[in-house]
Amino acid sequence: MNLIRIALRYIRNEILVLPTRVIAILFVIGLLVLPLLTQDMYILRILAIAAIFAIYAASWDLLSGFVGQVSFGHALFFGVAAYTTALLNLRFGISPILTIPIGALASVLVGLLVGIPCLRLKGPYLGLATLAFPIMLMGIIFIFPGFFGGELGISGITRLAAARLNEYYIAVVFMLILCFVMWKITDSKVGIIFHAIREDEIAVRASGINTIKYKLFAFCLSGFFAGLAGGLYTHFLRIAGPSMLAVLMSFQAIIWTIFGGVATIYGAVTGVFILFPTLEILRTFSDYRMLIFALIVLLVLRLMPQGITVFVRDKLERECPRCKVRNVFTRKECRVCYSSMK
Amino acid sequence: MKGKYYLLLTLVATLVLLLGLVGCTPAADDTAPPVNGEEEEPGPEFDGEIKIAVTGPMTNIQGEMMWWGATMAMEEINEAGGVAVGDEKYSIRLIQVETDEIMDPLGAVSAVENVIVSEDPDFLIGGFRTEAVTPYTDLVARDYQKIFLICGAATNELLQGRVDEDYETWKYLFRVTPIRSTDLVRVTMLMLHEVAMAVREELGIAAPKVAILAEALEWNEALVQGAPAVYFPQLGLEHVGTFRPSATASDVTTELRGIEASGAHIIYTIMSGPVGIPFGKQWGELEIPACPVGINVEAQKSGYFPATDGFGDYDYTLNTFALNANITDQTIPFMTKFMDKYGQVPNYNADTYTAVYLLKEAVERAGTMDTDAVIVEMEKTDRVGPAGRIVFDEIHDVIWGPGYVTAVGIQWQEGDLVACWPYEWRPDPQNAPDLVVGFDGVVPYQIPPHVLRQWRGE
Repeated sequence: MNLIRIALRYIRNEILVLPTRVIAILFVIGLLVLPLLTQDMYILRILAIAAIFAIYAASWDLLSGFVGQVSFGHALFFGVAAYTTALLNLRFGISPILTIPIGALASVLVGLLVGIPCLRLKGPYLGLATLAFPIMLMGIIFIFPGFFGGELGISGITRLAAARLNEYYIAVVFMLILCFVMWKITDSKVGIIFHAIREDEIAVRASGINTIKYKLFAFCLSGFFAGLAGGLYTHFLRIAGPSMLAVLMSFQAIIWTIFGGVATIYGAVTGVFILFPTLEILRTFSDYRMLIFALIVLLVLRLMPQGITVFVRDKLERECPRCKVRNVFTRKECRVCYSSMK
Repeated sequence: MKGKYYLLLTLVATLVLLLGLVGCTPAADDTAPPVNGEEEEPGPEFDGEIKIAVTGPMTNIQGEMMWWGATMAMEEINEAGGVAVGDEKYSIRLIQVETDEIMDPLGAVSAVENVIVSEDPDFLIGGFRTEAVTPYTDLVARDYQKIFLICGAATNELLQGRVDEDYETWKYLFRVTPIRSTDLVRVTMLMLHEVAMAVREELGIAAPKVAILAEALEWNEALVQGAPAVYFPQLGLEHVGTFRPSATASDVTTELRGIEASGAHIIYTIMSGPVGIPFGKQWGELEIPACPVGINVEAQKSGYFPATDGFGDYDYTLNTFALNANITDQTIPFMTKFMDKYGQVPNYNADTYTAVYLLKEAVERAGTMDTDAVIVEMEKTDRVGPAGRIVFDEIHDVIWGPGYVTAVGIQWQEGDLVACWPYEWRPDPQNAPDLVVGFDGVVPYQIPPHVLRQWRGE
């Protein structure tokens, strides 16, 4: 009973008082109850894929938004896990329960391999170096087509679950858990060090912190989450193809995250859940689909340069200048320390 | 941090704009179709409608051709009274599905599922890029049990290993065009043999040297490995090198100089991508003394000659139709009507035209729209279309060979695209010496004049 009382108090005092948290809770509830309202296979497909891509985009945010290690080749992690998952499933008949985590571990390994040579690189040099890796892997895929399936990809993989509804719930629940974990990581001691490395790496090093260790950790962590997304996607679509390593795949993660709000995790999720269905809806304007999409993104970025979630949050909430707690924008004084909000 | 942030933001904005511009191509044509799901009520004379979804990259030439071919068939059928389903008459309605499968192959699956869920088409036709067609035929057959006629992807594995190994799951898939990859190889070898014979006769070279110029993609890998090992010795040809430019390369001078240095008399080309244009232009400009023959998809298009500034003249490539090749009595009327209507020479994707007719006839024979009954009738197909006589084999692929679909070899000759193969082709000289295959209007292959001049020392 006590726990329930504490939880209710937390909900009342920490969630319901802030509009953005209410929006987040409504979003989560909405996703979970949506199948009660519609079981349209197409809608469930789009939302399931959006959930998987949200994990992928958030993993980019974890590495590039929080640690400042801007990666232009994030599809590498996604693609490595996708191919590992597909090969394990197809060649050895291993179940998705195992192939997905093993694929993610393969991405961790790749995170290390990429992280080590990139440690001393910064800014555009790091971006270009990371961009090269998926292109190299794609080259390898074409060199060994018998093993990797060349540009045809590897198909015939076990589906994620027997029914679309189950696949939807697996993707959504995975997304909610993994994005929450990523968000908590960024809020932890490790997350503060990540922030600090992004802001001033030399100062962090001067404080006696091994930044190399943390940067490598960030590459592996990001690779792990992106890998989970890659494995889920592969079993959902039942194919692993070279387009998973394409430049467009890497850039999509960047676009989604910047659109939603970089260095937030929830911004990446928002970006995917707005932009991915939008691009689907725009299929009806086949000739101008990409142009309309580009204009929407540009317009939003022009008006909300920090991203859509940060813009909305700043409109709906303000931070107390004294205790730094967030308050709804209508409050005259802080809900915690009662300081004036003016 | 702020500086970095704005740098990143600027970069993203530029990327987004570039992606937008790349994805935006001019409107296909004024005859462009209604998009997904636009309702078109059946006329009063019809009892209902048959909905056929045409899936393809509709902002690209492949998708446009699919749509145009299917539209022509739909108009002809509806004008002639529609499809008789038992005692009722149905009109055909096409639904265009933009799969964007060249840019986003895996996203294509969503587009196909969208049309199935929202429109519930009776049949689907189309599909171009194998990476996209593989998962969406999987979806169509396995999840929705609908008949899908492939009209664009040649990869054997779309049917082989599926229909033969698990008929109940994959029986919904058929391929109408093009012929499967292995048959494409067979035809290019016959064309290569023809060129080799011309080189022997006109240049007096007993064992012509051949260089392979193949775009660096997997679909041609078996060909790149197999041709010099298996076919070249059989044809009495000497392999002198293989060159693999990117499918999107804009410059192949290095490869061409390599071919020239190898002493090759023939270039066996295998190109489906835009690299075909720089190849044609630079081969002519540099006067590389070797005859190109094989597959160059760009050279199949009407715009190839002007795009290469005329330097691509005498390129010799595989195709499905040709203006001067009366493959069947339907070929020339079909091509003429298509060109009058759309202003372009139809490529192989345009044989969605035949696909729509195959469906019409199967439904009429079945007398019902029941999927299993229509599949049984589709399997009994024996129809003469513009590309030849269509009969399906046991894995639902079109049978290739004399009397069926053979494809044609087309050559640019002084700015005109003409068919040169099959020209007095004897497919089985040992067992059937009198069997000679050729189509009315096909002309002999010509060695490019600059190649003749250089090897003759003129």
